[in-house]
Amino acid sequence: MNKKRIYPQWFLIVPLVLYILFFLTPSILGVFYSFTDWNARSLGETNFVGLQNYIEIFTSNKNYTSGIFNTLKFTVVSNIVKLIPALFIAIMLQEGLKGKNVYRTILYLPSILPFLIIGLTFKSIFNYNTGLLNSFLDALHLGFLKQKWLSDLGMVWKSIFGVDAWRGIGYVMTIFLAGLNTIPKSYYEAAEIDGANFWQRVRHITLPMLSGAIMINLVFGLTYGLKVFDIVYVLTNGGPGHATEVITTYAYQFYSTGQYGMSTALNSILLVITAVIGVVVVKVMSRQEVQQ
Amino acid sequence: MRRKLISALLCASMAAALMAGCGDSGKDAKETSTSKSESQEGTASSGSDSNTDFAGEELSIMVSAGWMDNRYDETIKRFEDTYDVTVDLQTIPADQYGDLLSSKLTTDSCADIFWIQSNPFAIASQIVDPEKYCIDFSDEEWKSLIPETRLSACEYEGKLYGLQIWHNSPEYVMVYNKTMFEEMNLKVPTTYEELLDVCQKISDEGVTPWFVPGADGWQHQLAFFQIGGAYEDDQPGLYEKLNNNEATFADNQLMIKVLEQYKELSDKGYFGEDWIGTDSTNMINEFGDRNVAMALANSSTIKQIKDETGTTDEFGLFLEPLGGNNSFPSSPAGPTMFGYKGTAHPELVKEFFRFVTTTESLQEILDNSPAYTNLHVNDDKLEQHWLPEEEEFMSTLTDEQMKTPVLQNGTKYTNDYWMQFGQDMVAYCTGQMEANDVLKNMDTNRAEAAKVAQDPAWN
Amino acid sequence: MRRKIQAVLKQIICIAMSIVVIAPFYMVFINSFKTKTEAARMSLSLPTEWLFSNYLEVIEKGRLVQGFVNSLTYALVATTVGVVSCAMGAFVMCRKRTKLNNFLYYFVLCGLFFPVNYVTLVKVLNVAGLANTKLGIIVAFTSAMIPFCIFTIRNFITSLPVELDEAAVIDGAGPVTMFFKIIVPMLKPTLVTCFILQFMGIWSDFLTPLYLSNKSSMFPMTIAVYQFFGKNKSYWNYIFADIMLTCLPVVIVYLLGQRYIVGGMTSGAVKE
Repeated sequence: MNKKRIYPQWFLIVPLVLYILFFLTPSILGVFYSFTDWNARSLGETNFVGLQNYIEIFTSNKNYTSGIFNTLKFTVVSNIVKLIPALFIAIMLQEGLKGKNVYRTILYLPSILPFLIIGLTFKSIFNYNTGLLNSFLDALHLGFLKQKWLSDLGMVWKSIFGVDAWRGIGYVMTIFLAGLNTIPKSYYEAAEIDGANFWQRVRHITLPMLSGAIMINLVFGLTYGLKVFDIVYVLTNGGPGHATEVITTYAYQFYSTGQYGMSTALNSILLVITAVIGVVVVKVMSRQEVQQ
Repeated sequence: MRRKLISALLCASMAAALMAGCGDSGKDAKETSTSKSESQEGTASSGSDSNTDFAGEELSIMVSAGWMDNRYDETIKRFEDTYDVTVDLQTIPADQYGDLLSSKLTTDSCADIFWIQSNPFAIASQIVDPEKYCIDFSDEEWKSLIPETRLSACEYEGKLYGLQIWHNSPEYVMVYNKTMFEEMNLKVPTTYEELLDVCQKISDEGVTPWFVPGADGWQHQLAFFQIGGAYEDDQPGLYEKLNNNEATFADNQLMIKVLEQYKELSDKGYFGEDWIGTDSTNMINEFGDRNVAMALANSSTIKQIKDETGTTDEFGLFLEPLGGNNSFPSSPAGPTMFGYKGTAHPELVKEFFRFVTTTESLQEILDNSPAYTNLHVNDDKLEQHWLPEEEEFMSTLTDEQMKTPVLQNGTKYTNDYWMQFGQDMVAYCTGQMEANDVLKNMDTNRAEAAKVAQDPAWN
Repeated sequence: MRRKIQAVLKQIICIAMSIVVIAPFYMVFINSFKTKTEAARMSLSLPTEWLFSNYLEVIEKGRLVQGFVNSLTYALVATTVGVVSCAMGAFVMCRKRTKLNNFLYYFVLCGLFFPVNYVTLVKVLNVAGLANTKLGIIVAFTSAMIPFCIFTIRNFITSLPVELDEAAVIDGAGPVTMFFKIIVPMLKPTLVTCFILQFMGIWSDFLTPLYLSNKSSMFPMTIAVYQFFGKNKSYWNYIFADIMLTCLPVVIVYLLGQRYIVGGMTSGAVKE
């Protein structure tokens, strides 16, 4: 069979050209600018400054490294907070629950909303005096549980993770459900006959059979977590103070004060971190693909 | 069945979009052809009637949503009818505006008219190269309309570029519930100690003494900056030194003291249980419900409280007493209009500025802005609507108290880092930073801006 | 007995979760009918007076009709072009695994990690003569979705039997006919999924059109919500009404296509 004839190479042209010209080129230009003093005021003239921007990021008294740390923290915690509950909800729904489709539809709903709108809504819900959450606790006579959800240093990250889970669990769960759909029922029946309990079934059947879905969730979850911006920006904008700054919120600050060079330098650091983690994941993935 | 429904819907919506697309392009084509013939006519008739035939042209205006309500709508409508043009008013989300403007300027694709929040230094630091980007209005008649104090925010190196139409009401002074003060037997505080005392008494009654909307991100730092007069009185010549890089924010004892006072008020709960998480959405209701007694706000807030909540309480104004401040926050700043030099129709832009500055237009703008009671322009025919509370408060002030502008508009590059300073202040109040480091960051940022602007004082 | 208790427990958990998810939607809905002052309190109580006029006001002041047409144009055109062209590209990448094609696949996949830079994007579009045009906005959206689409679609294609293509070609079909007649129908779940996800992504994104347009007639629907914010005045009743109207189209698209999402997101990668 002539592969050239059935699979013409020109099928690739449109996506490749668009991708290279209008996605890759601007991004790479951006990386290039991270080695210059480019700013809103320098107009056409930008000077090459080598690694100066990078040195400033790691030595400045403004603690940009906390942004890098917070980004990693967000990536790890937000994924744990979403993946584990989502897995159990998916298993629960899969085991034949009345109204399964209704619940699935409802739980997925938040992930289709614009971040801007999620931010607006939750900021009002978190309001100390008038917000839904504290009023609800008051109504239940649980006033002592009332929190400064977005302004208490010990609480703010938890609130962010909470909203992020509210938004994202349905999405993650849906991917798990798709994976669970492909596991033959007979496996579980056999296990039950052998007297395996719930945990043993999860460990020996569900998890291994779900590796594909888990992998997809990890890839999307990691790239989402590392590039996180919107959810933090709309809820706290890095605050209170600088408690929830991530790499992208710092980059955004530079951007808004016109220091484009510094802004792209921070983004490039993020790119390197993501790329390293990405390469590892993709390597693992391609090895899996070969095994199959 | 359902599948059919989906595909039918998709097809229908696609067809709709396609038709919409076609409609648009059709309209565009028509527009260009008419404007072409129009412009040909224009050149043909230009001998007799120069530059007045703008029919069919489109004027674009780019402005932040934070500065614009409906107050220009009627004037713009009249302008469109008078000249048979269309005006495209682009209201940009406030938190995106600054970034977008600099991006538009650097990529040479700005709207015909753009706005900035101007002060005597803003043209240099925000537009950077007015010669390149702005239309020179030095010879326009409306120059005489701009009051002397506001002119410096519109001019750069002796040339007039901007038009500032703003009000002269007291901005961000203390608004307080007079009736509640009387009921509690409280006197208006004039020193920090008196303020503490007043706050304690109000707090004992279960009322939040001072409403601070920290979640807005741009309001809470006003308490530090609006008392620029106090810093200048404490160290005469401070502004000039700050502008010549001979003084710093860091180690300024009064500034540190003000930050400490602010933190004390915050720690004692006088700003409310959660001021950092509270935004200004509900401020008017809180006043109306008697949940709060004071706030750093505009005089127009009084009007809003009375109009919207139906309270019978009386309200008043006094000077913010932090740092022993005794001066009025004069502010030669405000949203200011500029003409973009790269525009395709400079004459139309100039015509718009002339049109807006007629008495008729100004009156219309004032009457259509419910939040403002006056316009600060040299036009005797304009009918102002000052509030009695404003007049009463203003009559107690001396010229001496009004001479120093607020810190953010009297010193270079300070206003550009407004939001960062606010974040640092919250970081200080929540124990993440030291007071002097907040000030040090401001120095670092200002030095950065000065370096970029190639300010000789810093290089 | 134990099973019954379990089932009831599960129902309770699911209902509780659903309430948590729906409560914010309900708050937005109920407050969108209140007066400005009442809405600022954000309570869950019913409005004292149902102001349906809020919606009319929002549609007029926010110029929502125009915004809707723009959003729909950007989302529909960009997603259709993106998904179809990516399907074609992914198909060849997957079936003809030359060294070059494998490299290209990972090369495109890198795009998942790159951040967007609007200033350089505007510069590139300027050079291409696409700045400040609707086409430019569409091109930018399409280009940005390519890594995700190629990744998802290629994973799916690996699960389709190669024999089908060969049979079709033997029947005398050319590659284009074969692709659209045989392959596309089988790819439907994943194509619909990509379409819906990208459609919703573009619908929510207001920054890209903001930076790439110079006329308000090019603004998408999401920007309108900002019209009702300002210093000292936030019209939360209008903001909530606007939120309702902005979300409605994506919710409809989602409800219509949701049954595909489960199958399409993973069936390729999640193999038995």
